[in-house]
Amino acid sequence: MENYNERYARHYALSGFGFEGQQKLLQAKVLVIGAGGLGCPVLQYLAAAGIGTMGIVDHDYISLSNLQRQTLYSTEDIGKMKVEVASCKLQNLNPEIKIETHQVELNSKNAWEIISEYDIVVDCTDNFAARYLINDACVLLGKPLIFGAIFKYEGQVAVFNSGLKDENKTNYRHLFPNPPKPEEVQNCNEVGVLGVLPGMIGTMQANEVIKLITGIGEILDGKLLTFSMLNYESFIMEISNENVTENLIPRSREAFEATDYNFLCGISMNNVEDLNPDNFAEKISDKDTITIDVREVDELPKADFVHIQIPLSELNERLSDIKEEQIILFCQSGKRSLKAAEILMEHFGNDKKISHLKGGITALQKRKNEQSN
Amino acid sequence: MEIKIISFGQIAEITGKELMLEATDLDSLKLHLVQKFPELSDKKFAFAVNKKLVNANVNLNQNNVVALMPPYSGG
Repeated sequence: MENYNERYARHYALSGFGFEGQQKLLQAKVLVIGAGGLGCPVLQYLAAAGIGTMGIVDHDYISLSNLQRQTLYSTEDIGKMKVEVASCKLQNLNPEIKIETHQVELNSKNAWEIISEYDIVVDCTDNFAARYLINDACVLLGKPLIFGAIFKYEGQVAVFNSGLKDENKTNYRHLFPNPPKPEEVQNCNEVGVLGVLPGMIGTMQANEVIKLITGIGEILDGKLLTFSMLNYESFIMEISNENVTENLIPRSREAFEATDYNFLCGISMNNVEDLNPDNFAEKISDKDTITIDVREVDELPKADFVHIQIPLSELNERLSDIKEEQIILFCQSGKRSLKAAEILMEHFGNDKKISHLKGGITALQKRKNEQSN
Repeated sequence: MEIKIISFGQIAEITGKELMLEATDLDSLKLHLVQKFPELSDKKFAFAVNKKLVNANVNLNQNNVVALMPPYSGG
């Protein structure tokens, strides 16, 4: 057999898959967005299977708390960039495939260019802003999207925009037309996750990619699978495209690039600056600046820098306590500080400069841990 | 008639995984749900009747199963 490769012997031997199936994988270009809990198993299985070209998008560092579920990384990798370590380990696993790294935070300005280079997109992100951004980009660019998400002991998998049934294309907005606001859902940092769950859901996503490329089996085309790791029950529902999504999705590349998905998801606000941990550490010592912890009294960890505490629940009554020009807000995860910013904006308008610590004290601690490693 | 409801994720934490409610159509079921669980009013979730996503109001029959499906975002 020409091009016989011992590496894929078990694929060749598999009836219904064979040499032809392998050739299709080798010709495919798959983009995996997010190299975390879901991304690790997706990347590992797709690289091992011989997807010819794989792209990885991620902008995060490896931290100690990742290792419980992100199985591509080792303790010695803490503090390094995920894309770099992932690419190195995957290339060792399979030197015969091409791995392209995109060390950026995907946003509406860079998504078009990156996604258009690939045939299939796998959403392994962990927030709604990214999920709606990826969904809309895939609709506009006509790219099949393998969706995966987790909550506590359950996960969801779906295939959108597959192109297999042309007249009946579905996307995530048919299911949930508009992104939820932060207070309508909990995020993973707050609720925790057992390491094997993203392993299971990510492996299902990788399976859908392989099935879509090779045409074997039945993919979750326009269907949402919800799976419980506690009892192995699964629930598959059909997504109809009755909901009209045309008005919700930007109509052109220009309109897409002008859309602020963080704003749509309530993760950022006009006129309120998002501070990353490094900016935050610098800014809190600025002149005429007050730093306010809006968490309730007794929440841990305590902040070890100069600040005052006004719990969000008391903020409305204590607005007159704030005399400074610049106000920096923080809480545990960045949600309540944004809510507080909203209240302050209503009261002070643009008279004061308001910013908040994106990702909260959790992000700050994570950054500190990275630096000490 | 009594309709079987199954819930997932965050919604199941409010309603429990399974319950029965009196309703003749989806709109009346939604109303009963929010009366019984006021917390649901500011939560986001989709409805599926017999495993099919439903947006508009539909009549419900004895053997229908209505699923309440919230979006998950963790990864």
